[in-house]
Amino acid sequence: MSIEFPAFLTEPNPAVKPVTNRRKNRMPFLDKTLKTVAGTVKTMYVHSETGARDKVLFRINPLAKFFSFIFLIVSISLAHSIESQLLASGIILIFYLISGISYRYVYKKILVLSVVFGLLIFLPALLNVITPGKIIHPLFHFEKESQWWIYRIPQTIGITEEGTYVVTRLFLRVLNSISLALLYVYSSSFAQIVKGMKVFFIPNTFLMIMTLAYKFIFILSKTIEEAYLALRSRLVGNVKDKNIRSIISGRVFFIFKKSKSHYEQTYAAMISRGYTGKITLRRTRQFWLRDLITLLTALIAGFAIIFMQQYGKNS
Amino acid sequence: MEKILELKNIGYAYFGKNEALRNIDIDIHKGELLCIMGQNGSGKSTLLNIMNGLIFPDSGNVFFHGKEVSEKSLRESAFNASFRQNTAFIFQNSDVQLFCSTVFEELMFAPLQLGIMQEEAEHRAIEMLRSIGIEHLKNRSVISLSGGEKKKVAIASVLTINPEIILVDEPLAGLDPKSQTFVIELLLALNRAGKTVVFTTHHLDLVDHLQPRVIVLSEDHTISKTGTAEEILNDEDFLVSVNLIHEHTHKHGDEVHKHYHSHYVFHKHGKH
Repeated sequence: MSIEFPAFLTEPNPAVKPVTNRRKNRMPFLDKTLKTVAGTVKTMYVHSETGARDKVLFRINPLAKFFSFIFLIVSISLAHSIESQLLASGIILIFYLISGISYRYVYKKILVLSVVFGLLIFLPALLNVITPGKIIHPLFHFEKESQWWIYRIPQTIGITEEGTYVVTRLFLRVLNSISLALLYVYSSSFAQIVKGMKVFFIPNTFLMIMTLAYKFIFILSKTIEEAYLALRSRLVGNVKDKNIRSIISGRVFFIFKKSKSHYEQTYAAMISRGYTGKITLRRTRQFWLRDLITLLTALIAGFAIIFMQQYGKNS
Repeated sequence: MEKILELKNIGYAYFGKNEALRNIDIDIHKGELLCIMGQNGSGKSTLLNIMNGLIFPDSGNVFFHGKEVSEKSLRESAFNASFRQNTAFIFQNSDVQLFCSTVFEELMFAPLQLGIMQEEAEHRAIEMLRSIGIEHLKNRSVISLSGGEKKKVAIASVLTINPEIILVDEPLAGLDPKSQTFVIELLLALNRAGKTVVFTTHHLDLVDHLQPRVIVLSEDHTISKTGTAEEILNDEDFLVSVNLIHEHTHKHGDEVHKHYHSHYVFHKHGKH
């Protein structure tokens, strides 16, 4: 086979001056997409392997783990004292230590979520407008007391002792719930979480669809990552928005076609292996001593959290 | 020898206009090792899909142990179960074939769908993991496996149903040399164990390694030649005519050679 190259291919390139204005080269949409997609791929990859770790909490029967988790969450919700919540925090911390998950790895997520959902939205409850009580830190002083809609605006608005107690308790409850949820997520692979859902008698077909979707998101993310990397490698300087839209729509169509072909072939592979419309999945039956110990520990811890409130201040 | 699959005058066109196969007649016998060769786009994969009852021909018929394989016959649950249990298909792209969350569940999927008891399915899965040498992958997620590992899992996942005939689409596609050697040896071992193996390829060295009966599909999607591996591999003019080898130039020191080339192990150097 002899190939005759065009002349330009065998000569050195003349110096190319890309057409740019003074602005910095910006293609934030590409970088943002790539970063997000790469993050998704990494998270899914790491999480998919989570179940293979050789630690006690990772090897517990998914059903036992799921049931224990639910029971502890309910216990935390039923506990109405700061002391109970502090006990729950201590127990969860011990679970983290046993699991081998670095608390440092998740503490940022826990704090951010807890501050947003457990502190910021409850902040008004600190004030005597929402929670009447003994003012420990006055903030505003009016000439006289007034009424606005359903609220009575007192002469002095301030942080009350009761409000502080309520907000602390709610913050701890949210913090504990989030810590426990993340503990469950980080100590279970996706497969284990799906199996755990069998507690709620979710049909096998639905569980299979979830598994397929999970894998599909992974493959699709990788495809998008590759497509966008290829795009970035060929774009120089600032590209007009109109051109970008045209390029991206082409890529989106390519990804759509690829995903369609992928799902058609996966469906054929399922048919080939005996799928007839009804899915039979493996039953998880083996209950080991460690699973019973987990359930028992969760029961004892849950009841301890609930009963602890007897020794605390209820409101 | 007993016929397992018979394809009579098969014709198929994608969307009714892109012709993929024309007038294909093939008999596959029990215990046979058969290779379907052809250049890209000659219809090899389509043919395997038809053999596995995943798509149905526009014309002609497929028979499995004398019973026609059609959309209608595969709706009969008894025949469907028997057909699926005895024909296994290993896809070229392992990613589409592996859809369960862990390797062990992947191996158990087919037996469970075919009504095999869970204890027996588990036993088979464990035996297959050991046999293929992938016990260490048992609890791994399929998305985190390498290409070679995925291929091994894909093969193991269809062998757990103990099929009579194994259809393999491009067995060496995307594999590193070590994994390629493993797959070649595995196909040979399966055939020696009495399994009927049908595979597609355009790698002449694979044909040379396995010495199967060869059916070559031409550019016009018909069968252009059938013969033994030796007969096909030694007919260079024919291989050139069906685009399976081509003239190739390369250097040995300062000397430039030209010769017919494929990835075929009999790399016959000579000046042309």
